[in-house]
Amino acid sequence: MSEMKKIKNLKDFSTSADRFEGANLLCPGCAHSIIVREILNATNDPLILSAATGCLEVCTAVYPYTSWDNSWIHIGFENASTAIAGAEAMYKARKRKGKLPASCEGKSPKFVAFGGDGATYDIGFQWISGCFERGHDMMYVCLDNEVYANTGGQRSSSTPIGASTVTTPAGRVSYGEKMMKKDMLSIMAAHGAPYVAQVAPNKWKDMVKKIQKGFATEGPVFINAMSACTTEWKFAPDDTIAISDLATDSLVFPLYEIENGTKLTITYRPKNKVPVRDYLGAQGRFKHLFKPQYEYLIDEWQKMVDARWEYLQRREEASV
Amino acid sequence: MKYLGWDELIPGAILFSFSEEMEKDASEILPEDRPYAETNSHEAYVGDWRVLKPVYNRDLCIDCQFCWIYCPDVSIISRDKKMIGVDYDHCKGCGICVEVCPTNPKSLLMFEERIDNDDALAQWPEKE
Repeated sequence: MSEMKKIKNLKDFSTSADRFEGANLLCPGCAHSIIVREILNATNDPLILSAATGCLEVCTAVYPYTSWDNSWIHIGFENASTAIAGAEAMYKARKRKGKLPASCEGKSPKFVAFGGDGATYDIGFQWISGCFERGHDMMYVCLDNEVYANTGGQRSSSTPIGASTVTTPAGRVSYGEKMMKKDMLSIMAAHGAPYVAQVAPNKWKDMVKKIQKGFATEGPVFINAMSACTTEWKFAPDDTIAISDLATDSLVFPLYEIENGTKLTITYRPKNKVPVRDYLGAQGRFKHLFKPQYEYLIDEWQKMVDARWEYLQRREEASV
Repeated sequence: MKYLGWDELIPGAILFSFSEEMEKDASEILPEDRPYAETNSHEAYVGDWRVLKPVYNRDLCIDCQFCWIYCPDVSIISRDKKMIGVDYDHCKGCGICVEVCPTNPKSLLMFEERIDNDDALAQWPEKE
């Protein structure tokens, strides 16, 4: 195995040569490309990448351009995971038979699949589950923007309660999405995956640490990355990092990792906890919650987030 | 029918990032030294997406690299741990770099596209 890239601080990190190119067609201020850059720059090993249909895929492979400087494949909406698992299986088989080309010698390529929350929580779920059950040596990264942003903002099973989307519009009779967000990380941990973690682009150091740990882990790794969506969450493009900060500091999106399916570790504890109200108020998709008839939902939200944080802390303590 | 081998297939949906085979992985070659192919989006231009452009003031910069890490469009150019400029071919003008800049006054500010960079530097605000 090749040596892990040493990244002590941001200045060190900034000497990385980006393998993701600009002039992709993602919206200005999109968090997807921030996440992808942080992941790709976390290693110097060759990368074999795939992407499920979604914002990232349609915007980085617009004919006749590609934005990827490494091998990259797109097949279908549901099978980013299986495409990369297939590549990984072939690599292993050829290695075992000694049939790898000479240029591969001494290198340890990393296999990474990217998918949006639609491709991960809903459409590609069965395929990801299969990959994790078979135990491929790969990483699956879910870019979780809590909505089908590519097709115009339909709800997915990652959309949190109270969010207004085009298929769950808020108005006189409805406060928007009525279902809770699916707890994908626990589901993936329940597969017995050696490493699953939640990351956010604004905490780049935490992100790089987890990605490097994921690369060093043998077996399937699941990463859930919060990706603030300027278009569908409805905030100004320059606020992407500020909104991400609000999400991690209000504990709406807690940063933690689970090893071997059980050992939970919280990796970020905000010094100053921000009320959930601030997080909701900063986004257009929650603005109806501030009308008198729906305001009770903000308290419900706060209770839900507090209960979740309490649960995570207890699990960390008990280490089960 | 003769089946074509993998290497004989005509590139249809395959796009090449580089025009020639590289000895090293791209992670070991800086962008200015890479043999980019025509089909790499590095060769494309999205500068016309901008309404406002970020202008960079070297005198105030402390090289914290926050703008580099949070730029979604790989448009902040940093070499040898120093921030050296903005890539106006790929910058879409989202303004994240200005928001995350910690200096006072900021070393990156948004200006209207028509304003010349030197004029922008001349009208830089004073410390608050």
